[in-house]
Amino acid sequence: MLVALLIEDFILQIGCEIAGMAMRLEPALDLARTIDIDVAILDINLAGKPSFPVAEMLRERGIPFVFASGYGVAGLEGSGISAPVLQKPFDVSDVRRLLAGVV
Amino acid sequence: MAENNRAEGAFATGGTDGAEDAFAFLGKGGEIRRLIREFDWGSTPLGRVETWPGSLRTATALLLQSPVPIVMLWGEHGIMIYNDAYSGFAGKRHPQLLGSRVREGWAEIADFNDNVMRVGLSGGTLAYRDQELTLHRRGVPEQVWMNLDYSPVLDETGTPAGVIAIVVETTSEVLARQRIAREHERLLQLFAQAPTFMAMLRGENHVFELVNPNYQTLIGERDVIGKPVKEALPELADQGFGALLDQAYRSGEPISRWSERLILVRSKEAGPEERFVDFVYQPITADSGEVTHIFVQGSDVTERVIAEHRQRLLVNELNHRVKNTLASVQAITSQTLRGAMSLKEASDSINGRILALSRAHNMLTAQNWTGADLNEVLETALSTHDDPDRPQLDVSSPPLRLEPHAALSIALALHELAINAAKFGALSRAEGRVEIVCETTVVEDREIFRMTWREIGGPPVQTPQRRGFGSHLLERALPAELSGQVRIHHRPDGLVFELAAPLSAVREGVGLE
Repeated sequence: MLVALLIEDFILQIGCEIAGMAMRLEPALDLARTIDIDVAILDINLAGKPSFPVAEMLRERGIPFVFASGYGVAGLEGSGISAPVLQKPFDVSDVRRLLAGVV
Repeated sequence: MAENNRAEGAFATGGTDGAEDAFAFLGKGGEIRRLIREFDWGSTPLGRVETWPGSLRTATALLLQSPVPIVMLWGEHGIMIYNDAYSGFAGKRHPQLLGSRVREGWAEIADFNDNVMRVGLSGGTLAYRDQELTLHRRGVPEQVWMNLDYSPVLDETGTPAGVIAIVVETTSEVLARQRIAREHERLLQLFAQAPTFMAMLRGENHVFELVNPNYQTLIGERDVIGKPVKEALPELADQGFGALLDQAYRSGEPISRWSERLILVRSKEAGPEERFVDFVYQPITADSGEVTHIFVQGSDVTERVIAEHRQRLLVNELNHRVKNTLASVQAITSQTLRGAMSLKEASDSINGRILALSRAHNMLTAQNWTGADLNEVLETALSTHDDPDRPQLDVSSPPLRLEPHAALSIALALHELAINAAKFGALSRAEGRVEIVCETTVVEDREIFRMTWREIGGPPVQTPQRRGFGSHLLERALPAELSGQVRIHHRPDGLVFELAAPLSAVREGVGLE
């Protein structure tokens, strides 16, 4: 939850807007299905569940995304998904660099 | 030898001059010949030597020449005449045995000898191999084993007149064989009771010769003895273990593997099963140097491998939690500093928030991060903000187990509400009160969790000008975390905070799967 606040803050700092925020898989999937956005940042672990279905949904809709995770790139192992990963803890410049890479 | 010669000499000088020597047929030398000469045969049924029939004399002379222990039992009473080798065998029973009746001489085996005499005197023979007998040769009972061959001795008329026995003691050989058998048995027991699995494979096709119970456990209740590995355990042969056995057999060099993964099909009904084993294939060579067998020995280490795997996961998980916590601390510090009026205020707020986070972690760690009781969450988050002697907080809540993320979020939210109340609200005054009501209700068939924080008796409330970390946490992060809604009313008589969230997003074990 606190990390979400941090990411929110960083996104505002780099001049983007927050379109939505979800911390559980179901609401996140709802958002991914409907929301109109330029890019998404996904925590790999949403209250104990992997966010990979959300990533699949975004990929289908052609919306770029990056992950944020305490596991780092290792958190994607076995998921069949490849995307840049923000290793926690991270800085505003990390967020800027990764988002610039996918958008 | 010297003594024997003297005895001979003594007889020669003491002999009757010119008279024929009645004992000449005995031959010369040895203790037993002297004893036979000196013995009073007249007192036995055999009578004086001069009266002995030719057959008795010849048989006596014959057995005296033999280096093998021989005893002759003459007449129906079995009067005993034996050679030097037999006297050694007889121990302390010699020389009393000489000329005695066999039944009395060997009283402890009288029944055995009765049978010998009965068979021998009726013309039959007897042969025993490793016959076990208990003899009293040295004053104490002694278990002995002997090869015994009995045959009749015929007199001048062709009638059996005595029995001649060749007696070869085999006690030491029998004991040695028993020792070897016991050692073999012990080795087999060792094999059977070994904590590791073992098997012996014969020849180039690796035919199972022996498996111990642990090996049988590993492979399931399959009957493998006498079968080649390829046929007995086809799935293992296909996983490269057949080739590995061939290599050990050809090279004669042992092959070891650690934590080797194998898929076992223990029975037709059972599906494939993953196991991990440490093992060695040890080639066994014959005296010629040629490999004849492979000894297989090892341990099923599946549990260890699983534990190692679990430990790796735990370390990764720990690393993840640490990184997450660092990010949380990063969020607290950067956002607190952004809205801070002074470094002192920021420092106090950061300390308070990190401690609130830490207390919530302690509470969850104590329950292995499975969840927490709502009452405990309230207690943990609020105890530092209330004075038990002058209570200002009035808390009511139902018994409810919270899911860990919900517990953490609610604990942090309560901390923000409490420090805000202490700075600007009801808790800044002694007469101020806060009413905290948690409840579960049903709205339109949906179970809802509600938490209301109502401040009473504080200073007049003003809508805050700036929105800092606390507002963000309460108004944005908390509803997002719990998929719920938050309302904050800055009423003149006191702040009211209302949280409503689906019970499924809050309650432990529900809505997660």
